Amino acid sequence: MSERDRRRLAFAALAIALPVAVLAALTLGSVPLPAGGVLRSTVARFGLGGPSPLPEMGEVILWSVRLPRVLIAALVGGGLAVVGAALQSLFRNPLADAGLLGVGPGAALGAVLAVNLGWAQQRFLAMPLAACAGALLALLLIYVIAHAGGRPTLSGLLLTGLAVSALAAAATSVLLVAVEEYRVRTVLFWLAGGLEGRGYEHLGLAAGFVLPGVVALLLLARPLDVLSLGEEEAAALSLPVHGFRILVFGLCAVVAGPVTAVAGAVPFVGLVAPHALRAVVGPLGRHLLPASFLAGAALVVVADLAARSFGQYVELPLGSVTAFVGAPYFLLALRGQEGRG
Amino acid sequence: MVGRRAVLQALGVVLATSGSVAGDAPLRVASLNLTADELLVEMLPPERLVAVTRWADDADMSNVAGRVPATAVRLPRADLERLIALRPDLVVVSEYTDADFLRLLEKSGLRHHRMGGLETLPGIRAAIVDLGRAVGAPEAAARLAARFDAVLAELARRVEGEPRPRVLYWGDPHTAGAGTAIGSLVEGAGATNVGRELGLRGIVPLAGEKAFAADPDVFLVVKGSGAATALRRHPLLSRTRAVREGRVVEIPNHLLVALSDRAADAAWWLASRLHPARVPEPAPPPRLP
Repeated sequence: MSERDRRRLAFAALAIALPVAVLAALTLGSVPLPAGGVLRSTVARFGLGGPSPLPEMGEVILWSVRLPRVLIAALVGGGLAVVGAALQSLFRNPLADAGLLGVGPGAALGAVLAVNLGWAQQRFLAMPLAACAGALLALLLIYVIAHAGGRPTLSGLLLTGLAVSALAAAATSVLLVAVEEYRVRTVLFWLAGGLEGRGYEHLGLAAGFVLPGVVALLLLARPLDVLSLGEEEAAALSLPVHGFRILVFGLCAVVAGPVTAVAGAVPFVGLVAPHALRAVVGPLGRHLLPASFLAGAALVVVADLAARSFGQYVELPLGSVTAFVGAPYFLLALRGQEGRG
Repeated sequence: MVGRRAVLQALGVVLATSGSVAGDAPLRVASLNLTADELLVEMLPPERLVAVTRWADDADMSNVAGRVPATAVRLPRADLERLIALRPDLVVVSEYTDADFLRLLEKSGLRHHRMGGLETLPGIRAAIVDLGRAVGAPEAAARLAARFDAVLAELARRVEGEPRPRVLYWGDPHTAGAGTAIGSLVEGAGATNVGRELGLRGIVPLAGEKAFAADPDVFLVVKGSGAATALRRHPLLSRTRAVREGRVVEIPNHLLVALSDRAADAAWWLASRLHPARVPEPAPPPRLP
């Protein structure tokens, strides 16, 4: 099979896998809904076909609870996977992912602050908004500090991010120690990643940043491919290397920050999805980024379904589910690479 | 909804035993917190309580273990989908429930009642009355509040004029300052809360050296939590007067976490350990209402 055919097959498989995962996630849960009923209810929503066959209770569960949650899961997974793929191209390192950006600890600090001050209990959207603000503030801080001494190198930007992350993590620890016992649970659930209690407003908050960010990154896929040839080659092809890197770095943070704000920490998606696909669709960003979006979206939709299905007394943290799947995969892939190397 | 109400009324359910249900009062009530579980078991006829938390049956946590109607669904977690499927007319949530979760409840067409102010004994009393009003059982709530008042009044009468021992709650390393239910429990039992003396607010960590310097008369710990053993093994706290002289009170967990009408019973129990001469019985006498 030619590379082109393999790529087409991969995109076809992903284009089928994502809707199947979404349908499964919409039908399965604490209260199972028939797949046919879900499909007919969806058709009915668009004014086509007959009335929905689902009882009123099923309609409420489907449209008020599950659909926004599943869409957020898809957005989170897709966003993280695209960010992972873009950063891996940017750094020419298959181990790069959103964790490098420093927005996660910033978001965590914002979330813990919102819980500590009681905002999360009193004000709607306070926690994700505070987390989003924390992520974007961390990004701003990294940018300002890194540029304080002139134009920063990429490693300078990364090290600044590391330092800002460490500061945010330290402040989070201080707040966590001081937080009321009853509120610790809320914080821990957020830190471990999860989508319980997320609705359309959270979807709107994430989509407002993630969709434009992802589209922009997809549009930058070709210059990313140019950059992956090497700095000198890219400069020779008239790519403003420094400005382009800052732009991609910033777009990644703009996607990863709000994703972390609505879902908490969801590790490994940005590593596993692009890594698994690179062998199939090739390393070029214009193929890898859209494929990563589809794969990441399907992965997190299924992971979230597992998270809400397997825990009897509590939902499993989404971040733990993705780590349980992602870490072994990644270790195996690394061993395979070392074996070949 | 109308159909269900009509059926229940036609069957002549036990509503009469707890007073009539007001026109817009919820017939089906679900609870998402243990305090509400305890109060609703006392206030509502069994068929109106459609769901409780899984903690309600746990004797270590609950003051109504063994008395929860078998018909009430035990919710292992705040599972919105299961809640919607139960079709409650009212969901009782706690002060700590996230605003985002509440919005989703509303968007799913579920009304909720939020309990709050449970960090003081008067606050608990007010919450009982509020809950009774919300679920359409004001008479039952008034009865619980009357007993609550009577127990605390009798307790206050008995310990009046007694020296107030200085009690430090020790959750290794957390303690209870002002504005906490535990602090109120200590004060309601005729003692002084050392956490408040230290200027603390909320449940907060306390350094061992500060606890040692505070030199409490009594340490209050949760029975079975290992905190008593930890105190006796602590390099510094084991040398406090209270520990050396064996004044470590181990309170059963279900009493410490009682934020319902049983908070008065918890205060009584603690007073029986702190003022045994004045309060010899571990529970309020049955003659109280």
